[in-house]
Amino acid sequence: MRLDPRTKLFMVFVVSLIAMMSATTPVLWVIRIIITLIPIVLLILEKKYSSALRFFLAYGIALVLLLFFISENSEGIIASLLIGYCGIVVQFMPALITAWYVIRTTKIGEFMSCMQKMHIPDGIAVSLAVVMRFFPTIKEEYSSINDAMRMRGVMLGGGNVLRMFEFRMIPLLFSCVNIGEELSAAAITRGLGGETKRSSLIELKLGLADYLLMAFLTAATVIFVMYKYFL
Amino acid sequence: MSIIDLENVNFQYKGSRDGSLNNINLHIEKGQTVLLCGASGSGKTSIIRLINGLIPHYYSGELEGDIRVAGHDIKQTELHKLAGTVGTVFQNPRSQFFSVDTDGEIVFGPENIGLEPKEIKARLNDVVAEMDLDEILGRSIFNLSGGQKQRIACASVAALLPDVILLDEPSSNLDFDSIELLRGIIMEWKRQGKTIVISEHRLWYLKDAVDRVIYMENGKMAREWTGDEFNSLGEEEVKTYKLRPVVLEEELIRDILGDSTSYFCDADEAIELKDFFFSYKKHPYLIFKKHFKESDGDLLNLNIESLKIPKGKIIALVGPNGTGKSTFLRCLCGLERDCRGKIAVDGKIYKGRDRLKICYMVMQDVNHQLFTDSVKSEVMLSMKAKDGKRCDEILECLGLLEYKDTHPMALSGGQKQRVAIASAIASDAEIMLFDEPTSGLDYSHMEKVGELLKGLASMGASVIVSTHDPELISECCDYVLGIKHGKAVYLKKNKEL
Repeated sequence: MRLDPRTKLFMVFVVSLIAMMSATTPVLWVIRIIITLIPIVLLILEKKYSSALRFFLAYGIALVLLLFFISENSEGIIASLLIGYCGIVVQFMPALITAWYVIRTTKIGEFMSCMQKMHIPDGIAVSLAVVMRFFPTIKEEYSSINDAMRMRGVMLGGGNVLRMFEFRMIPLLFSCVNIGEELSAAAITRGLGGETKRSSLIELKLGLADYLLMAFLTAATVIFVMYKYFL
Repeated sequence: MSIIDLENVNFQYKGSRDGSLNNINLHIEKGQTVLLCGASGSGKTSIIRLINGLIPHYYSGELEGDIRVAGHDIKQTELHKLAGTVGTVFQNPRSQFFSVDTDGEIVFGPENIGLEPKEIKARLNDVVAEMDLDEILGRSIFNLSGGQKQRIACASVAALLPDVILLDEPSSNLDFDSIELLRGIIMEWKRQGKTIVISEHRLWYLKDAVDRVIYMENGKMAREWTGDEFNSLGEEEVKTYKLRPVVLEEELIRDILGDSTSYFCDADEAIELKDFFFSYKKHPYLIFKKHFKESDGDLLNLNIESLKIPKGKIIALVGPNGTGKSTFLRCLCGLERDCRGKIAVDGKIYKGRDRLKICYMVMQDVNHQLFTDSVKSEVMLSMKAKDGKRCDEILECLGLLEYKDTHPMALSGGQKQRVAIASAIASDAEIMLFDEPTSGLDYSHMEKVGELLKGLASMGASVIVSTHDPELISECCDYVLGIKHGKAVYLKKNKEL
């Protein structure tokens, strides 16, 4: 399934909005749960069955805990740890997974074209594109550093938490700065940053799936806001 | 009529003496192909940067003299205005791509200068047809081999139709076949009448392509040959300039291309590998990860059921880009946890994590491998029993003792590599693995690496070095192990020794 980047951006927006707003009545909970199914479907589409299952279970447990065992009056360490866990899984994970999906499936060219259609200035669009371009690079660098640490047997920094962090971050920062510098040199020699308006080869068109999904997301948002604030 | 004019140019980088230029006068005619050679740090890359304007607009420093390229005064011209005039293929394919997909990368330049979509499409099609890129269109950059990446880099430069094309050590990460393709691309550009300037350590593939060769030394243009003079330089003369050979022996090339099939392990003692199966394409799974077996067949990136390699020797691991050399090394030393291979040394069997204890890999990018704030603590970090005296000995024998309190990141590339090797020695690993240690090195640095490897082997370590570098192989390797499509296809004694 190919979605238009505009639909995807809208999807990230709606999923984060609804998952992060507090739900108080059953209707609101139902909408929130339906919206949370979206990231699960996305994981399945990307063939990450195991992650989908894990997220589904984590979400289910968090939901049960939140609805039946933890109330605002809970006290004690265990309760506060559980609240932390539930908050992360229920409020942030759906948005994170959706964002991960969008970054993974959107080409930089599509993204730039989408930004142009939405009349975002080139400067902002290029910066966002560089950020998108950098995610996989950071991941790649990080995993090479991790490999090197395993090889040298310093995964735990000799038992020192600070060094564990230092050993990972210092080489990572060095190589990201280097790559960033070379990357921008290469991009400038190919005309990035000129006064001419960028053009785009990719012509975006909204398809049936886009309209259906957007309608669904809009409806969910409208109902959620209606029930939360007006009814 | 000359298209590139450098007139009395002096340059020094801010805060560094490396790569500075001294009284450069260079005039290049339209349509000429010029090769810049010489040791690392001799100023080759700086000249490339003068022509594409990265000096002084991106890399700042003290610049004197006049630079004119195709009618532009470089000092006064903004970089993006040069986009349709000068194109540059950089050394490191990892850091020159803006897009994550191949099509996007090729059209990135034309989009930047605001061409009509129709025109962009036409240029994309032209470039794809010209360089035969159909197969690698629509792929993620992160899944391409080094050679494929470099072809995309060339295509994305060509799509801007520049008159001047610069290549900065373009063959550093390439295997033989990819270098041949690169050579084809350069020949095609030459035929189209482009002006080409190449900075390079490897010389054999440019033999018939270049019109002029300039030898750089300490920031000066020390010698110049015409293409014909250069081709007829004797082997001895090339060596006195510390250059890599201009002519390669046919036999060496055949060995490295892996056309031979003989298997030959005459060593008294051998390391035995068993059941090394691995693939990067993971099976989608629900609860349990699936392990790879021989029956996975074509899916496997590494498929070695059993293999004996000589112990205490230097073994060159050769084969085309993307055919499993790095995978082999990663699985051997246990970095790929999903590979269930076993190593038998001296009757002991190592599997799983134990492999990490007897192996040590020096990675291609040593920057990832240095963690501490001084050379000494870097070496101490690897030692199981901390021993300051032994640490000094190791540093001494690698010529690093004077840098023992220096921060590793402040060292030069070659020194960093030696620090990584020092840590490898300190770890007492029996099997030392090197992933392309000489890519992008000049002749004298390559020779030094060769000597270091010999030193390791004489201390009793088994050294396996993956490489595309025929000169390194003839310099120091005892055996050549060929890998193709994830299988070990041959093992033979290196004839040169």
